[in-house]
Amino acid sequence: MPTLLWLLVGAGGAIGWGVLALHRGETVNAAWLILAAVGSYLVAYRFYSRFIATRVLALDDTRITPAVRLSNGRDFVPTSRWVLFGHHFAAIAGAGPLVGPVLAAQFGYLPGTIWIVVGVILGGAVQDFVILTGSLRRDGKSLGQMAKEEIGPVTGLLAMVAILSIMVILLAVLALIIVKALAQSPWGVFTLLCTVPIAFGMGFWMKVWRPGKTVEATIGGLLLLALALVGGRWVAASPTLGPMFTLSSVTIAWGIIGYGFIASVLPVWMLLAPRDYLSTFVKIGTIVALALGIMITLPTLHLPAVTRFVDGTGPVFAGSVFPFCFITIACGAISGFHALVASGTTPKMIATESDARVIGYGAMIMESFVAVMAMCAAAILDPGAYFAINAPLALLGGTAESAIHAVQQWGFTLAPGQMEALARSVGETTLMARTGGAPTLAVGMAQIFSGAFGQSLTALWYHFAILFEALFILTTIDAGTRVGRFMFQELAGHAWEPLGRTSWYPSTVFASAAIAAAWGWFLLQGVADPLGGINSLWPLFGISNQLLAVVALAVGTTLIIRSGRARYVWITLLPLAWLLIVTTSASWQKMFHANQRIGFLSHKAKVAADLAAGLVDPAKGHQMMFNDTIDALLCGVFLVVTWAVVISSVKAWLGGEGRSEKGEARSEKREAMVAG
Amino acid sequence: MNFPRLADHLSLLAGTARRIVGMPDYPAYCAHLRSVHPERPLPTERQYFDEYLASRYGAGTSRCC
Repeated sequence: MPTLLWLLVGAGGAIGWGVLALHRGETVNAAWLILAAVGSYLVAYRFYSRFIATRVLALDDTRITPAVRLSNGRDFVPTSRWVLFGHHFAAIAGAGPLVGPVLAAQFGYLPGTIWIVVGVILGGAVQDFVILTGSLRRDGKSLGQMAKEEIGPVTGLLAMVAILSIMVILLAVLALIIVKALAQSPWGVFTLLCTVPIAFGMGFWMKVWRPGKTVEATIGGLLLLALALVGGRWVAASPTLGPMFTLSSVTIAWGIIGYGFIASVLPVWMLLAPRDYLSTFVKIGTIVALALGIMITLPTLHLPAVTRFVDGTGPVFAGSVFPFCFITIACGAISGFHALVASGTTPKMIATESDARVIGYGAMIMESFVAVMAMCAAAILDPGAYFAINAPLALLGGTAESAIHAVQQWGFTLAPGQMEALARSVGETTLMARTGGAPTLAVGMAQIFSGAFGQSLTALWYHFAILFEALFILTTIDAGTRVGRFMFQELAGHAWEPLGRTSWYPSTVFASAAIAAAWGWFLLQGVADPLGGINSLWPLFGISNQLLAVVALAVGTTLIIRSGRARYVWITLLPLAWLLIVTTSASWQKMFHANQRIGFLSHKAKVAADLAAGLVDPAKGHQMMFNDTIDALLCGVFLVVTWAVVISSVKAWLGGEGRSEKGEARSEKREAMVAG
Repeated sequence: MNFPRLADHLSLLAGTARRIVGMPDYPAYCAHLRSVHPERPLPTERQYFDEYLASRYGAGTSRCC
């Protein structure tokens, strides 16, 4: 009977893929995409993750987990596997799996979807599972500590550099997404601004007025959030308030930089903790609603399966489908960042070892499913509208006519007045050139939600979707600036000891300012970029995230070899090799490609030529050339770090003997404790 | 309608929600202390919340992209 069931599941997935493959040149229902993905996930979870759990990692419930052995009721807490699944999922899923697929949709829905599904099964979920188990058997050690202890101190330092650089780029690109979504949008700006006093209020409630009553504060916060969302429409329509909240990109960018700095200096109870609770509930609720909405409406995908932009001429970002599809979609397929979460709070809460399978492999499958839904939301849009929302202003031109013309040039159609009507229906003045994924996703989600739960509320759904993304992006920004601040203080402490004191206020202010300035610099560069910023920053983010995945997979490979199961080492070596090819090729192209929309150095040469011919403003031109130099250098650093990690790991694999036995030895067998 | 049971269900639900979000769970901590370290005094909810904040967010928290 189970065999029959699994044959049916497998056949379902195969039929889904078959329909997608055969329906070329005509529209297809999103249901087939979902069927293909879910069928593949179920089969992979049942068979591949079981193989990893029993053969490769040899999960053993007689081993006592740190949550049980070190139980202290606070960070080490044995927790039920489904609760922990929710907790881990909420910690790994953010804006990444939502934005990447929307941008990669310019290749058509098929290349991105194949990578999301295949990448997670063979790469992302394996990485999370292996790192989670490794950390679980080492009392919840972090990725950096494991890299240092299992491979060597140099790799440990490189891992630290990788983590700090990914943090800076990640914060810049996420902030850029908010800027793109909120510029000239009084409704969105007002709602997001309201979240700051709401978080303060919740913080005071939990800390001062009703100590520890987090649930009360959160329910109150969610109600106020709903009020702010509804009130935003009224503010935007008001002739006096509307213009006050209509801000330019540059103003919003400076506002976010200031916010990141202040949030990193303030005590956590004021902003960080309450925001974290709010955004987690909103996140889980919205993702469930999105899944329900897609199931109820079963929308048709209007985007072609594959567009002509696989050749690298795409307007959203430049670069051909290989390697840029695999860089653009990081979260959702494989994301190095997850290795930080999988070696953070989660391993300290696992009650029995076998739970690691559903939490490590399963939660990542779930995130991949979120990425597939984001792809659906982008693909149900009219292709002309998709490109008008996502192409930069430099390619669309300033007017409605020029945009219609540009979209025609790309082989799609845009009716006169179509974009204006779309913008009006979601309560905005314009949706053109809002690259960055959030507005596209919000329009898609608004269509799905209003199809499923009522047509009259399209504008409200749009702003709800924008708020939902902006809320947890801001949460990542304040948490990330704070983490960066601690890392900076640790590094700076080596140079001058007082800078390393986390309790010394001047050091805290200095380190926070340094981190906020670092990502703020990239953010302002992105805002000023005539090609839209996403074109240069998103690939940098993807490369740095995949670089971190290379570090994680190298650590995972080392753990497998050290545990004496070197014959199964291909499960991590396979994705490692693929990512190595992808990151090397992508960072090389971003540096040296002859097309000035792809290669930073060719862009620099072009600006230099324009400067010489007097075609650009000298100050602006020199700034752009400086930006290109920094971006190219950063790619170079990524490339060197990636290869240095791989080479030092290979050395450790070839010369290593059972050092890891020491690491795993501390987890005694349960019988031993019972007997003792 | 059995009201005490409804209250039990509600508090179980609140506890689950707290754990998923990583919120402090004071009743669970008290239960833990009573069963494992009965000799230690119970902290007040305020003390517990302060200690929890320091341990959870003290060194920064990793939220993903």
